[in-house]
Amino acid sequence: MSASAAQPASTHFLHGLNPLAKLLAPLPAMLLLIFVRDLATPLAFLVLAYAVLLVGARLTVRTAVMLLLVVPALIVIMTVGFSLWTDTAGIAHDVVVLRIGGWTLYGAAVLIGLATGLRLAAIVALALIAGLTTTGQDLARSLVQQLRVPYRVGYTAIAAFRFVPRFRRELEVIRQAHRVRGQARGPLAALGRGFGYMVPLLAGAIRHAERVALAMDARAFGAYPDRTERHEVPVRARDTVFVVLLLAASAALFAVFWPWGL
Amino acid sequence: MPLLRVQDLAVRHDGETVFAPAGASFTVRPGEVVLLLGPSGSGKSTLALTLNGLIPHDIEAEVSGSVTVDGMDAASTPVARLATRVGMVFQDPDAQLVTGTVLDEVAFGPENLRLPVSEVLQRSEDALRRVGLWERRADSPDALSGGGRQRLAIAAALALGSPLLVVDEPTANLDPRGVDEVFATLAEIVKTGDRAVVLIEHNLDQAIGFVDRVVVMDAAGRTIADGPAADILRTRAAELHELGVWLPTAALAALRLRRAGYALDPLPLTPAELRAALEGERRPPGVSTRFAHGATGVDIPPLAPRAAQPRVATPRQPHVVSTRFARGATATGAVTVRHLTLHRGTTAVLRDVSLDIRPGEFVAVVGPNGAGKTSLLQALAGVVRAPRGTVSVGGVDLRRIRDLTSRIGFVFQNPEHQFVTHTVRDELAYGLRHLPADETDARIDDVLRRFGLEDRADVHPFLLSGGQKRRLSVGTALVAGAPVLALDEPTFGQDRARADELLGLLTDLNRDGTTIIIVTHDMQLVVEHASRTILLDEGRVLADGPTPTVFADDALIARTGLRPPPLRAALRGLARHPELDGVVRLSDLPGAHA
Repeated sequence: MSASAAQPASTHFLHGLNPLAKLLAPLPAMLLLIFVRDLATPLAFLVLAYAVLLVGARLTVRTAVMLLLVVPALIVIMTVGFSLWTDTAGIAHDVVVLRIGGWTLYGAAVLIGLATGLRLAAIVALALIAGLTTTGQDLARSLVQQLRVPYRVGYTAIAAFRFVPRFRRELEVIRQAHRVRGQARGPLAALGRGFGYMVPLLAGAIRHAERVALAMDARAFGAYPDRTERHEVPVRARDTVFVVLLLAASAALFAVFWPWGL
Repeated sequence: MPLLRVQDLAVRHDGETVFAPAGASFTVRPGEVVLLLGPSGSGKSTLALTLNGLIPHDIEAEVSGSVTVDGMDAASTPVARLATRVGMVFQDPDAQLVTGTVLDEVAFGPENLRLPVSEVLQRSEDALRRVGLWERRADSPDALSGGGRQRLAIAAALALGSPLLVVDEPTANLDPRGVDEVFATLAEIVKTGDRAVVLIEHNLDQAIGFVDRVVVMDAAGRTIADGPAADILRTRAAELHELGVWLPTAALAALRLRRAGYALDPLPLTPAELRAALEGERRPPGVSTRFAHGATGVDIPPLAPRAAQPRVATPRQPHVVSTRFARGATATGAVTVRHLTLHRGTTAVLRDVSLDIRPGEFVAVVGPNGAGKTSLLQALAGVVRAPRGTVSVGGVDLRRIRDLTSRIGFVFQNPEHQFVTHTVRDELAYGLRHLPADETDARIDDVLRRFGLEDRADVHPFLLSGGQKRRLSVGTALVAGAPVLALDEPTFGQDRARADELLGLLTDLNRDGTTIIIVTHDMQLVVEHASRTILLDEGRVLADGPTPTVFADDALIARTGLRPPPLRAALRGLARHPELDGVVRLSDLPGAHA
């Protein structure tokens, strides 16, 4: 958990890196990928991100599900979705994949869908480098320590992480309670129900937040402009090495595939 | 110099018209343990929040009089500085934990004080060892039990190094095991004598053992008594009881027994004292040796032979063997369960449960955490779907009932969760939306009147007071005419006064014929109100019978981790008073009806 940032680099080196390094290093590639239209470039970045994650991240069930199920599913759904919705007017009609009655699925449309799916998957996979190996608490700490975000904001964010599972439980109970009262069916009613859950959920959230705030103040939160930091989230040589290597790899991939035809 | 001096303190919250407290004065010296008593509305919790300056610094309120902590004026000293003198433990453990591990949690306060890392760790270790959580330091607070989380909150307050600890109803959100844990921890802390404690607590049976002094406030929020705990409680118990102040069960019992002619002087305050006092005197003339049994009309049969199997499964009741629902269970208000097995995921939460609940019964479902109590209640009320043929209400299979709300009402722990409309009137009308309008209006007016909500009909449900919200939630469950009311832990997280108000309401409803089924951890509530108790463990019915019978089986109660009610501990097996053996509820004592 939070102590992991202080551990020496092991084979799962990603967990020992500064959260900001993991966040910043893939960022240029993620931004550039938005403007890519070919298949090879996103595929290359997808491979790169998977390689980094499979070598550097501890393989938990969550990680495995994310990498082996969620991301591939994303590619499939995007490919299918975009091939069906692409406007056929502006694309080549020479390859026909499927013809049902008067409707034709063109190969070019499938390629556009696949490119979109891969592009999105590559961006998601790059984000997962930080996402799967960083705790919210370490991120908040490094925001405070490196980016000089006021600690009152950072630690309130840490406290807020604890709200999430609580709200999930509460929402489940509220849904049960409303079901007991008897409900209408149908999509419109479902929308109304969603709003119905908001009021009790928000009321509970505000009350809970107020209580937490009182408890934090009662423990001298905000007494001084800074506070003792037991968990240093330092920037070390390996963070610099990681950022430089990943940037270099990104640059190399873009150089090799040069997807903009300029 | 006293550590804490409260002088003529009066507080009025924004938007309120009255001051509560209104003229409280007392002092606390280093190392002293002071119990703050007062009826509901006297402002005990408000007073607690002024002791470390949260009122008026964080919560806007009009304050007069003064609070002086270690020479500092609380109204003008920042909360963060007062925090080094006054540590605070609140009611809800979840609302005071802010970090991801037990160690981080305790270190949070000292870190805020900018102490060097070595001292932060030293203090954290000391505090965690005092509450017995040092071995769990790497765990997430979520992995602790409720009692464990509250002990963690106590450790976090200790780690600030403050000489005064303010503890406000620390056990209201805990199950019996957690209550025991927290009291053991508090007693341990008090023993070393290095901390003064101001305690607000309704469970006086366990608190009275380590309290030095009591300060009593009246309903208006003025101090009316201040002195050694034993003196005040022994000499003014009757007066305090009249005021609506919580008293130890042993003292309440003794007050009743005195009316029946027992001497009991001085007034006993703990079960052990009550027991000793009774053994020291003879049965007064006029009290029958069989008083208790005769008075309740409950002949207490031995439970032992039945304890192993559910009562309804005894071969002497042939209808049970049939998979069909029993005849006679067709009366509205009857609930029948036959061979109910329920799974959550892959684990069985209920295993072959069979019971008959008769119309007009007041049934408590008790058992340790994870016993399946809530699952059973939810299956009875159709919140979760039980298999066809396993649950019937009023003789009709639950799965065939379309308008469930007119058969059985379900009340959740937090009333706000159940509200779906924008006014109290609409909230009641929602349950009647299938009826013609002229009929609904009459019914709604009737419910508004019965639940004391007539002048609140057009208010948004969320703007009601806590007690009104609870009454409205019960009203909405009953408005469609349900003869059965199921309640899941309705007193959890509430102060004693609100819990008592709800129980009074339920008792009235029950007297008028409503079947009440309640899941609860509060054993005193069970013995005082429920005529029948169903004890679950690991999804099976372990015992099912009249409440006094179930609680008379000490071995069974202990085995399931429940606590015997305090009266049971005081009265069982008295050598000189066989007439009191087996009494578990105050109302069964001689003198109760005098």
